Amino acid sequence: MSRNRTSLASVAAAACAGLLTLSACGGGSGFDDGGSSGEGGDGKITVLIGSSGDAETKAVEKAVADWSQESGTDAEVTVASDLNQQLSQGFASNNPPDVFYMSTDQLGGYVENGSLLAYGDQLSNADDFYPNLRQAFTVDDEFYCAPKDFSTLALWINTTKWEAAGLTDADVPTTWEELADVAAELKQGEQPGLAFSPEYQRVGAFFPQAGGAMTDEQQTEATVDTPENQEALDYVQQLLQDGSAQYSSTLGAGWGGEAFGKELAPMTIEGNWLVGAMQNDFPDVDYTVAELPAGPQGKGTLAFTNCWGIAESSPEQEQAVDLVEKLTSAEDQAAFAQAFGVIPSVESAAAAYKEESPEVAPFIDGADYAQNPPSTVGAADVITDFNSQLEGLADGDPAAILESVQQSLQATVGQ
Amino acid sequence: MLPVVVLLGLFLVAPVLMALWVSVSDWRGNGSPFGGDVGFVGLENYRQILAGGGLAERDFGTSLRNNLFYVVLVVPLQTMIALLLAVLVTRRSLRGRGFFRTAFYFPSVTSSVAITVLWLFLFSTTGVVNKILGWFGLNGPAWFQDPRGVLHLLLGAVGVDRAPAALGENGFLGITWWDWVAGPSVAMSAFVLMAVFTTSGTFMLLFIAALNNIGDEIEEAGLIDGANAWQRFRFVTLPMLRPTLFTVLTLGLIGTWQVFDQIYTGTQGGPAKTTLTPAYLSFQSAFVNQQWGQGAAIAFVLFAIIVVLTLVQRWVLSEDRGSRGERARADAVRAGVTARQQGGGVAGGAA
Amino acid sequence: MSTATTTAPRARATGTYVTYAVLALLAVVYVMPFLIQVATSFKTEADAAANPLSLVPSTATAEAYRTLFSDSPLPTWFANSVIVTLVVTTGRVLFCSMAGYALARVPFRGRALAFAVLVAIMAVPNVVLLIPKFLVINQLAIYDSYAGLIIPLLADASAVFIMKGFFESIPASVEEAARIDGAGTFRIFWSVVLPMARPAVMTVIILSFQASWNELNHFIVASQDPGLFTLTKGVAQLASGALSQGTQYPLKLAAALLMTLPVALVFFVFQKRIVNTTTGAVKE
Repeated sequence: MSRNRTSLASVAAAACAGLLTLSACGGGSGFDDGGSSGEGGDGKITVLIGSSGDAETKAVEKAVADWSQESGTDAEVTVASDLNQQLSQGFASNNPPDVFYMSTDQLGGYVENGSLLAYGDQLSNADDFYPNLRQAFTVDDEFYCAPKDFSTLALWINTTKWEAAGLTDADVPTTWEELADVAAELKQGEQPGLAFSPEYQRVGAFFPQAGGAMTDEQQTEATVDTPENQEALDYVQQLLQDGSAQYSSTLGAGWGGEAFGKELAPMTIEGNWLVGAMQNDFPDVDYTVAELPAGPQGKGTLAFTNCWGIAESSPEQEQAVDLVEKLTSAEDQAAFAQAFGVIPSVESAAAAYKEESPEVAPFIDGADYAQNPPSTVGAADVITDFNSQLEGLADGDPAAILESVQQSLQATVGQ
Repeated sequence: MLPVVVLLGLFLVAPVLMALWVSVSDWRGNGSPFGGDVGFVGLENYRQILAGGGLAERDFGTSLRNNLFYVVLVVPLQTMIALLLAVLVTRRSLRGRGFFRTAFYFPSVTSSVAITVLWLFLFSTTGVVNKILGWFGLNGPAWFQDPRGVLHLLLGAVGVDRAPAALGENGFLGITWWDWVAGPSVAMSAFVLMAVFTTSGTFMLLFIAALNNIGDEIEEAGLIDGANAWQRFRFVTLPMLRPTLFTVLTLGLIGTWQVFDQIYTGTQGGPAKTTLTPAYLSFQSAFVNQQWGQGAAIAFVLFAIIVVLTLVQRWVLSEDRGSRGERARADAVRAGVTARQQGGGVAGGAA
Repeated sequence: MSTATTTAPRARATGTYVTYAVLALLAVVYVMPFLIQVATSFKTEADAAANPLSLVPSTATAEAYRTLFSDSPLPTWFANSVIVTLVVTTGRVLFCSMAGYALARVPFRGRALAFAVLVAIMAVPNVVLLIPKFLVINQLAIYDSYAGLIIPLLADASAVFIMKGFFESIPASVEEAARIDGAGTFRIFWSVVLPMARPAVMTVIILSFQASWNELNHFIVASQDPGLFTLTKGVAQLASGALSQGTQYPLKLAAALLMTLPVALVFFVFQKRIVNTTTGAVKE
């Protein structure tokens, strides 16, 4: 009897202790109900994307389904709600998707820890990509992954407000001075003439216009605290202080496009992804798009691109490369361009797109002089930090901001 | 009995040991952290966040500053308001007592995610709070987008808007002393109000229990002496509430160092990193930026901070012996219970 | 009653009015946000931005709810939350009452140690354990599965404490009687003691329901598959703009409201008990 009691007690205590530790630390008896996705070796390709909306999701799903049918290999598209976090957890749990969107600012980290398969040169269309997009996904002369498309920034103008202010096509700004003038002219009380998101991904477009850049071309040296960049930030700061420009966040909008669509500001700096949003969410706003005005050193903009990453540990590498080959073909890219307004990453398809949809010309033209954001290991953190400092730009010290970013970015390029 | 001890060791010690290993390794989140190609880097990750001189140190310093101001504001505020609510609803002749208790306690049972969503709306640029401020002719700030430090704003109002040389050049953990004294940002202040809103109900219940325990006799005793209401409260009731007060302060202290849910839901550390907290930074470093070593190191440092604070608290409690000792210990047990349920720091549920 | 009371009645009356005024004001502050939430969830986005304070939508619309139910993964999140909450609550009642009984009544070697471990675990803050949790869940191959979402939440130290406290208050004579009748420890626990513990079990059910329904950070680190999102995780990501562009307050507030309803329901049904347990527990 007493023996009996002790053993029951041990079991209960063990169960209790085990479960409690689980509750605190995680752990457990360990069984797998097979609910996890993307196990290796089952011949199924999992594709993880960060979608801008239904249009993008459906277009990618369709393209992948078509490939599945042709190749006879199962494939499943998953839309991440937080791509960075999901990708990171996928790799850390040894269960990454086979094919996924990879942004330039995360590229360095994933290359460094050996997560990415360098397959770029295996593609038959490897040489058709825009050279600077190819460059964006090349680390140490290895072309890691195929750019899936790209976007550049341009100046968006609300034509109704534009005309109401007595402005004409001839007034579309082509220089910094003209931009400052029309922004001041369009300003109405609290409402600014220009609004954009408080981040390097918008403000940074002024750097190349002043002749500056975040790093040298090979990304071996940070060049943040240069007189050129300082000039650009001073200019932006002046716009903000005059009230002719304001951050979208100050206006209560989530991003520049929302401020523009809700007519909180008659001009914004955004990329071609806004085309779809305007169509769906703000169909009543009339607008036109122009190239960003040139600064003292000419035209400049930023290019954003994602590639189709393939996991080094994917058991289905060959199939994955085959899928990417199809997804980056001129035909598929043309379909994506039509569906959600991205610009094809192969030049021939981009040219065709420009012909078909002349309104996107300013974005495609931007490709010729666009700069890529830095993509060194840790660059993502630095940019996040830069963005947080830019939020305080209006009352801040541009020189101090650039200096601190210089230090953090230099620490990432020296590796 | 041996298996039990083994099990205990395995389940309690193993996970923490795993994380400890990660915090001294160069694992970057690809494959198993226990694989052959993961190297030992000693205290490098700790050095990076405590004395690295780089972004990692500055981020950690910033997160500590943010959380420190949060703690310093939330703990006294929620304690005072909870006590006020408790005193008001325990008045003997009060009608509608149940309604008031329910109203004050309800925010505590809702999830921190739901409350944060609500708060984002209330404190949006064109939101409810600014509307109300507008009635008084005040132009409300853009709350969750406003990174300006409240103390800096106050100093600015009296003409000090640049760092004095002594404060601007030196600093600690990568942040100048001037930035250390920035105060909570306007955005963080909104979170402070939210924490008070969601936790005061829970603590109110603790105070109500204590007040009921004290009973009416003591108040009667005070009456006979001709003391007024405030004097009765100050010199009779308050001293008797000391053990509960300690409990509430401890709970507050532990809970407020664990701000996570609100930040994940609401601001992700922004604007300008002024709502970054150590708990969120640890998560972000590991799960988003793949700096698992640094993330784990931050978690252990945060744990150390909380342990030290708890020990300080226990030491203070041990000064307080005698008849209250037993009660204090019982309260401390409750403290643990509630602190765990608080998890993200607010909306702990019925503790 | 002494001389001091001659002025007291009037002072007391004034005091009462002041009390009611202060209480009414505070009640408005505490209740208003939720009323505004309900109202806004039925507004159009423009209306929500223009008249955030109004409690009556200028044109009532259920658009937000329609979108949530037909065009978003919210039904999946809801289902997952229900599954996880039910299993976790059931599990906690079973395991924690057994553990509480063992700690209260069954003498075994290591009981003191087990109790010490319990206290130690309570002291470790949840957010510090995010990374350890992920590592262990991963190592046990239950990452990204219902098992990973549920098992680590099954035991809860505070529930064990509540059960232990209750069992200790039951007179030992009851069990002695059963033992004389030849019942084993488990029999005694299951058919004699547990039925007596209904009030404590109810408390554990309410607390577990709330805690697991409102849990967020464990779900963040235990899974990544969108099919395994719970309401808290889904709505949190909805709020941070991951699934949508723009502010969309009516939609977000509606989602938050749907998430609040079940706990609110439990709260209002059991509020007497909730308030009493909380206060009673401190009373000793």
